[in-house]
Amino acid sequence: MKTFDLKIVWTALGYLLKAAVLMIFIFPFLWMISTSLQTFRETMTFPPTWIPASPQWGNFAEAMNAGPFLTYFRNSVVVTGSIIVLQFLIMIPAAYAFAKYKFRGKTLLFGMILLAFMIPGQVTFIPVYLMMADWGLVKTLLPQIIPFVSNAFGIFLLRQYFMQIPEEIIEAARLDNASEFKIIRKIMIPMSKPALATIALFSFVSHWNDYFWPLVMTDSAAVRPLTLGIAMLRETEGISNWHIIMAGNVILVVPILLVYLFCSKHIVKAFVYSGIK
Amino acid sequence: MKSKWYTRLSVILLFSLLAACGGGGSAEPGEAPGSGGTEAPSGDKGKTTVQFWHSLGGKNGEYMDALIQRFNASHEDIEVVGTFQGSYDETVTKLQQAIASGTGPDVSMLERAYIQMFADSEVLEDLTPFLEGSGISADDFTAGLMGHSTFNDQLVSLPLNRSTPILHVNKTLLDELGLQIPTTWEKMKEVANALVVKEGSEYKRYGVTMPYDTWYPIAMISQAGGTFFNDDNTSIGFSDNGAGAKMFTYLKDLQSTGALYYPPAQDSGNIVNSMFVEGKVGMMYQSTGSIGGLSSAVDFDYVTAFLPKDEVYANPTGGANVTMLSSSKNKEAAWEFIRWMEMEEEGALEFILQSGYLPFTKKMVESEKIQELWAKEPNRKVAYDQLEFATDTNKDVAWPEIMHEFFSAMEAIMYDSKDIPATLDTFKKETERILAQ
Repeated sequence: MKTFDLKIVWTALGYLLKAAVLMIFIFPFLWMISTSLQTFRETMTFPPTWIPASPQWGNFAEAMNAGPFLTYFRNSVVVTGSIIVLQFLIMIPAAYAFAKYKFRGKTLLFGMILLAFMIPGQVTFIPVYLMMADWGLVKTLLPQIIPFVSNAFGIFLLRQYFMQIPEEIIEAARLDNASEFKIIRKIMIPMSKPALATIALFSFVSHWNDYFWPLVMTDSAAVRPLTLGIAMLRETEGISNWHIIMAGNVILVVPILLVYLFCSKHIVKAFVYSGIK
Repeated sequence: MKSKWYTRLSVILLFSLLAACGGGGSAEPGEAPGSGGTEAPSGDKGKTTVQFWHSLGGKNGEYMDALIQRFNASHEDIEVVGTFQGSYDETVTKLQQAIASGTGPDVSMLERAYIQMFADSEVLEDLTPFLEGSGISADDFTAGLMGHSTFNDQLVSLPLNRSTPILHVNKTLLDELGLQIPTTWEKMKEVANALVVKEGSEYKRYGVTMPYDTWYPIAMISQAGGTFFNDDNTSIGFSDNGAGAKMFTYLKDLQSTGALYYPPAQDSGNIVNSMFVEGKVGMMYQSTGSIGGLSSAVDFDYVTAFLPKDEVYANPTGGANVTMLSSSKNKEAAWEFIRWMEMEEEGALEFILQSGYLPFTKKMVESEKIQELWAKEPNRKVAYDQLEFATDTNKDVAWPEIMHEFFSAMEAIMYDSKDIPATLDTFKKETERILAQ
């Protein structure tokens, strides 16, 4: 009997802890949504307003009208989309080669990829900018795309994943005269969907939300993404209209939520399989 | 068959890349990109394009965009493309990298404290010949706002969006308690203490507050008869005369009784603003840039006043100036934009009226529109009148670096209650070391 009671206590405690952690993550989110629907006066009150007296849907329109948001949105989509497509084109064959081929200098090359993975963008941004300026690309979206076409973390993660796929399956496919590309397409990709979904999501979130890199690489509104457009809603001095800024943030976050809902099933699997918990 | 999917993907990829190039307009470098809504349509051939970088977001950014549109509408041969480059600090970083790579703008807004750093690198154009050519004298500008304009005998910047710290007062609260708006440090101490409401060990209301910024201590150093740097910029000018110790002792004294609420560093401006709006604090040292927002947010009698004096009235100035870059290839057009913005009636005057920044030419001050505004909103006139006592004593190439040290000293004293003389001594030594470099 004693042990049974203890079990209930532990389960309850577990739920309590989970709820607490959930609150920590969800609280800023609710705050953002609540603020995005308040009036200016409501955002200024203390203690803070939780439920706006009447939801101000107009805040979203006001945020959207504060700048060329369609351009920003298109730029965000094009940049993030191109990065992900390019990354996959390079990452999958690279990970396959590192996982399944034996060739000279493999360890060295893989070491270099890990090195790229460890050097933060803050170290390289000035030389990269100078290079892009030299090539006359600053007025295009390319400086936001090119530096990210090879995703070192993705290659690393996918390689680990590919290594778990038994050699026998690949051998069998080769015996059936399958080309290497066919092996990638018919065996490697389907068997590593969770990892691919995870990498895609990580990559999507980090580039969709990126502020630093586009700020450095762009000089004009025509090539800027949403994040910079939203930062523009802030006042440099004086009182910021938080309700408008938060409305902008909601607009920024919605696509991420959609993507997450779309691939959440795969991601949970990937975490379970790959052992990153 | 080599897989078709790979080819298909490559085609998609190629298109997305093309789209990416198209995003900026597959423009030749140097040509204005033109798909942004805030930017006017890209220039026809024959139009000179002037790139103008600024740091104005939010409402002020919209007012600035409107200004640029007015300019473009009235100038057939010049096209100004205004671009927001982030905060003042971010704009400085962007300028540094852009100047190095030859992609800098023609005209840029520059926060006043950074101007000397750029002037020292000789990347800012001397505007004197342009002023002379247009028959403008440096005396046409408000004297208190010209403190960051001349370096090494060159006039490298003109005032644009300038502000100054001022005392914001909840008059209703003071009236209820029969208190007068303080004009001296002594009176400030009395009034601030009288405003304190304490329940148990918790303060329900504080007397006065200020954002976490070097601006306010610097103002008070000048009020106490000190200067931030000494006359020959070799050390600080508030140590030997005791102004620094006096100022910090005064603030700590107020803080100890709840008369002063000193906010946490992060987001301090927003914190003090909302406390003031909510009546949780009766008075606030804060930028004139907040007058517009506060006026529309408060439901009490809200007035502004001069910062209280100690030995003298004194206040630093803030905000940004406009500069022309030496690397500009369109200096005539760039100057026309600056001249129009600074001097013409439809130039910055409208921007000043809308944003609440300080009028910066004598002509502007005398204009009917400003006089009307001041009659209606005396709070804004107070801000301008205070400029009579404007003094900027923290001018040095090394200021951005020393500023960080000063923040550390402020934190040590205001948050950790470290010994004041010892902290100032350390700060003095550190400053002398940096200045000697």
